[in-house]
Amino acid sequence: MRFNTFRFLVKEGVRSLRQNFFMSAASILVLVSCLLITGCAYLVYENVEHAFDWAYQQNVVVAYAKDEVTDERATAIKAELEAQSNVTQVEYISKEALLDRYKDEFGELLEDLQADNPLQDAFVISFQDLTLFDETVSLVKTIDGIDKVDYDQALSETLVKVRNVVLTVGVWVIALLLIVSLFIIANTIKLTVYSRRREISIMRSVGATQWFVRFPFMVEGIILGSVAGAVSYGLLFGVYEIIRQNFTFSSSLELIPFAVVWWQLLVGFLAGGMVTGILGSTLSIGRYLKEHTE
Amino acid sequence: MIEFRDVHKTYETGNEALKGIDIKIEEGEFVFIVGASGAGKSTFLKLIMREEVATSGEVVVSNFKLSKLKKRQIPYLRRAMGIVFQDFRLIDTMTVFDNVAFAMRVVGASQREIRRRVPYVLGLVGLQGKTKNFPAELSGGEQQRVGLARALVNNPSLIIADEPTGNIDPELSYEIMELLTEINRRGTTVLVVTHDQELVKSFGRRVIEIRQGLVVSDSKEVPHEI
Ligand SMILES: Nc1ncnc2c1ncn2[C@@H]1O[C@H](COP(=O)(O)OP(=O)(O)O)[C@@H](O)[C@H]1O
Ligand SMILES: [Mg+2]
Repeated sequence: MRFNTFRFLVKEGVRSLRQNFFMSAASILVLVSCLLITGCAYLVYENVEHAFDWAYQQNVVVAYAKDEVTDERATAIKAELEAQSNVTQVEYISKEALLDRYKDEFGELLEDLQADNPLQDAFVISFQDLTLFDETVSLVKTIDGIDKVDYDQALSETLVKVRNVVLTVGVWVIALLLIVSLFIIANTIKLTVYSRRREISIMRSVGATQWFVRFPFMVEGIILGSVAGAVSYGLLFGVYEIIRQNFTFSSSLELIPFAVVWWQLLVGFLAGGMVTGILGSTLSIGRYLKEHTE
Repeated sequence: MIEFRDVHKTYETGNEALKGIDIKIEEGEFVFIVGASGAGKSTFLKLIMREEVATSGEVVVSNFKLSKLKKRQIPYLRRAMGIVFQDFRLIDTMTVFDNVAFAMRVVGASQREIRRRVPYVLGLVGLQGKTKNFPAELSGGEQQRVGLARALVNNPSLIIADEPTGNIDPELSYEIMELLTEINRRGTTVLVVTHDQELVKSFGRRVIEIRQGLVVSDSKEVPHEI
């Protein structure tokens, strides 16, 4: 294609956008809301993943051995724990070592306990997959010689729940919104197709090829989509960073900075916007050309 | 140039618009097509332009057998013809120049070709002074001359006009017909549908009359008819 022809076609696309300013603005708005919700879902998901990693580092389970367990049995239990597929690391702390640790913290107060140590031998266990938390804990409990298991179940359960909700609800909401956006864009383009039906009929009568007739509408769709993508990206970036910098949820767990996901979101928004735009325009112009042979 | 072999056209609604047309139009001819409203004249032209497809029979236009023409070849058939509409079909938001240039841009002409060719064609139809005007600023006769310029600009070997003077004052209609004969003199085949019996008579060209989907007279076959 000649550059001149390309420029003409792009101009035609921009011209029809301007002619249908309000409808174009409306469809950009709808697409922006769709992309924003998608972006939010993605950010929540990323943050939950991040929280998982954090929890994984923080949240270890401590299993205590029964009093009658001997040193040899303790070594065997440690080996048994390490053999579990979901266990990455096991640290054995004898009750004497444990008492020493507490003594460092609480000092002389515990001096009297030296003779009759009330503590139990402990195994500090790190898990690989927190979603298998419950199963693994039950397995640990069945091991002969294990008395009880201490863990912070609430956090891990909450995280698993949040992730599942974000995943399922997110996927459905995003799918629904994409369909709505597609529908709105297709209708916007349909309006511009109708407002330009005279041009289309002239184009066809003087021998324009199919793609030539379609091209300006593609341009229109691409512009709608990429403008929506850029606007959503800017909004999400601004709002997210304000939230992140001004609110702290917990001193040790922070929201991930936008910079960590900036390019995934940029590519996703622009691609998502443009694909929706192109698809929407292809749908409506194709339909029109099929129905109107003239 | 154009040949119809036992062509029938029945619309999906059941309307039998053409009921067996056999006709041959040679290159360089000037032909009037006349007939009452609803006789099938526009359908006849639409088959030539491949806007409609014959139900049976064969239409041949400048070596294209239209029954075998693929959809994506239609644009190339259309480039061989210039079409003039009764309602002019100009783009209101474009100047006279851009309306004519539009037809060239659509077939991928270069800016240089456009700058050379458009003023020339606008000169041919007598609109050299109006290139920057918008259609709304022109009379009906002038608007149709823009339509004519647009039909001519890609140098087609065939011009098709369906009632080109239907929306124009009678005194200006004559000018449009004059222009069409001038174009024909330069070698372009011209096909004109019209109601205007007076106009047809005054030009003394081949006249094909269609009535209820059939050719009922063709002055070429009876050239010495009064
Ligand atoms: N698209 C169409 N669908 C159904 N019937 C049509 C269509 N176009 C024309 N007709 C019918 O075909 C006949 C011939 O129409 P047309 O070719 O337009 O006649 P003319 O141009 O001579 O007035 C008429 O009866 C008309 O109603
Ligand atoms: Mg007609």
